[in-house]
Amino acid sequence: MDVIEKLKVLADAAKYDVSCSSSGSNRKNKDGGLGDASLSGICHSWTDDGRCISLLKILMSNYCVYDCAYCVNRVSNDVPRATFTPEEIVDITINFYKRNYIEGLFLSSAVYKSPNYTMEMIYKVVEKLREEENFNGYIHVKAIPGADRDIVDKVGHLVDRMSVNIELPTEEGLKILAPQKNKENIFKPMEQIKNSIVRSVDERKKFRFSPKFVPAGQTTQLIVGATPDADLKILRLSEGLYKGFDLKRVYYSAFVPVSNNSNLPAIKSPPLVRENRLYQADWLLRFYGFEAGELLDENKPNLDLMLDPKCDWALRNIHLFPVEINKSDYNMLIRVPGIGVKSAMKIMSARRFASLGFDDLKKMGIVLKRAQYFITCKGKHYGLKSMNEEAIRNRIVDKQIVTDGIVQLSMFDKVY
Amino acid sequence: MIHYIYDGTFEGLLTSIYEVYYRHENPDDIIPKDWEEDNFLIQRYRIETDAQKASKVYKSIEEKISEESLKRVFYAYLSEIPKSGMAILNYLRIGYKMGANVDSNLSNDAVLTMDRVYHKVATEKHRLVGLLRFKMLENGFFYSSVEPEYNIIGLLAPHFANRLSNENWIIHDMKRDIAVLYNRKEWIIKDFTLEDDIIIREDEEEYQDMWKAYYKHISIESRKNLRLKKNHMPMKYWKHLVEIN
Repeated sequence: MDVIEKLKVLADAAKYDVSCSSSGSNRKNKDGGLGDASLSGICHSWTDDGRCISLLKILMSNYCVYDCAYCVNRVSNDVPRATFTPEEIVDITINFYKRNYIEGLFLSSAVYKSPNYTMEMIYKVVEKLREEENFNGYIHVKAIPGADRDIVDKVGHLVDRMSVNIELPTEEGLKILAPQKNKENIFKPMEQIKNSIVRSVDERKKFRFSPKFVPAGQTTQLIVGATPDADLKILRLSEGLYKGFDLKRVYYSAFVPVSNNSNLPAIKSPPLVRENRLYQADWLLRFYGFEAGELLDENKPNLDLMLDPKCDWALRNIHLFPVEINKSDYNMLIRVPGIGVKSAMKIMSARRFASLGFDDLKKMGIVLKRAQYFITCKGKHYGLKSMNEEAIRNRIVDKQIVTDGIVQLSMFDKVY
Repeated sequence: MIHYIYDGTFEGLLTSIYEVYYRHENPDDIIPKDWEEDNFLIQRYRIETDAQKASKVYKSIEEKISEESLKRVFYAYLSEIPKSGMAILNYLRIGYKMGANVDSNLSNDAVLTMDRVYHKVATEKHRLVGLLRFKMLENGFFYSSVEPEYNIIGLLAPHFANRLSNENWIIHDMKRDIAVLYNRKEWIIKDFTLEDDIIIREDEEEYQDMWKAYYKHISIESRKNLRLKKNHMPMKYWKHLVEIN
C-alpha cells in the first residue's frame, strides 16, 4: 500500500478522537532546528464538520487485538487496515509542518501486537522527530494502557502532551463494551504521568535545565451516549479528574454509531446537542468556579438540552438575581448567563472609569440576549417586569434545539 | 475642512500627529497620499515625514501611555481602514490624558473604536498564522501567496522566522504587491511582483495530494456542519488554501 492510501486509512481510523489542540506548550526552536510551539495553540484549517485541524492526527496502526464494541478499529470490524513505518510518519510530519499545514503531530495507535510493542513504535517516531530531525513543533501522543512504566517515561520526556482515553465513564460500561480493558490499566499510566509532571515541575524550580515532562499536561476522552450513564456521573468523573489528576482537558465525544452490537444504543446520529451541553458544563467547572453538584443532582441527573447549563442554574437560583453590573464582584458576574470570562473582565476594568449603562455594555460588545434578564445597570432592569423563572425560561430556551432535543431524547427512551 | 496628507509610512503618520500638537490644529482627517479625493472644500496640508518628529511621538506613546498602546496604534495604521488616522489621533488624545490604563476605558468612544480596529487586525493576523500555505519551489524556497484584508505580512514574519528559521521563504501579499523575504538570517519587506509563473519542486504535488486526502478523511460525515466551518474559516481566505481547491 502506498503512503497516501495508508494516510487515508489511518486518518479515517483516528478521526473519532476529538482532541486536536496544540496549546499549553511554549517549546522554543533550537539553533538550526525546525519549529516551535505556541502557548495558545494555532488552528490551521477546519474540516466539513467544523472541527479544527491543528495537528496531523493519525494512528500508527489500526490493526487491533482488542474488540471494543464502540470502536471502529475493533478486531472484528471489517475495515481496511494499515500500519505506518516510523520513517513515513516522520517524513509526512516534517513536510506538512514546513508547508504550514499543521502545528505538529498527534500520534495514537490501535493496540498492535501488544501494548509494549505499540508504545515502542510510538517512541521510535517521537525520538526520530526530536533527536534526528531536530523538530521542536508540538507532539501529542497516546499512552497505551498496559505499557511498561519505563517506556511511558521515555516518551513523556520528548513530547508536549500525553493522553490516556478513559472512553467509558463506568466500570460496568467497560465490562460490557470493552471486556479486554480494565480500570486499573487506564488509571495507572494517568497516575504515573501526573506524578512525573509534578516531579519535573519541582525539579525545574531547583535546576533550571532539568528536563521537562509533558509540559502541556495530560488529557483524556469520554464517549457520550454509548452507555446509559447520566450526565451527573460524567461530570462527577471529570471533576474528579481535574482535581485528582490535574488533567488539562476532558474531551467529550458524541458516540458515532459504528457497529450494530446489541449492547449499543440504536441511534441514527451522534448526540451532538448533549455533547455540546457537556462541554459547556465542563467549562463551568474549570473556569467559572462551579461544582458538578451545583449543576446537577440525583433528582435531575441530566443536563437540559434546550438551555445551556449556566442559564439553567441561574433560573433554579433566581433569588440571587438580578445583580448590579457596577457593583457585583467578579465571581458573581461570571455566573450571569451570557457573560463570559472576557466580558466580565471588560466590565470590571471599564467600570473603574465610569458607571456603566445598558448601552455601554452593548457598545462594548457584551451579549445581552440572555444577560438582560439577570442584571441591572445603574439600578435599572431591562428584562421582564417580574423575576419569574418560567417567564424568563420561555424567553431564552433555544427554540431550534427543542425539536432536535426531543428527537434525540425519544431515541434514547426507546433503547433504555 | 482640513486634511493632513502624509506619505503612507508609519513615520509619516507619527509626524502628522506631531504637527497636530505643534500647530494646534484640528484636522478632519489624516490620510496617506494614495487616498486623496478630489473635493473643492478640502484644504490639504502635505506633511513632510521627519524622522526626528516621528521618533518623539513614538517615544512619547511608549513612555506616557504604554507599549501596548504603541502596538495598538501600529495595528490601526496597518488596518488601512478609512478614518483610521483620525481614530488614532482621537485615541492618543485621551491616551495622553489617562496614561497606561487607557485601554480599559471601554465606555469611551475613541478607546472603543481603537479596541475594535486593533482586534480586527489582530484576529486576521492570528488566522493567517494558521491559514498561510507554503509551496516548495524548484530552488528550495518556500513560497506563500496571501491576500489579507489588512497590511499584516510584516506581523506574520517574526512568527515564521522563529519557526522556519533554517529555510528560505517568501510571503507574498498579492493585493499590495509586497512580500516578506527571509534568507535564513533576517527578513525584509519589499515591493514584489511575480515576473514568471512559479515552478514548484517535483514532489510538491505529492505532499499537496496527501494533505488534501488527509483533510477529506479526517472529517466525520455524520457531524457535517458547513456553517460552523465557514464561521471559523471565512471564505475570503479559501482561495489560497491547498486543501479546498
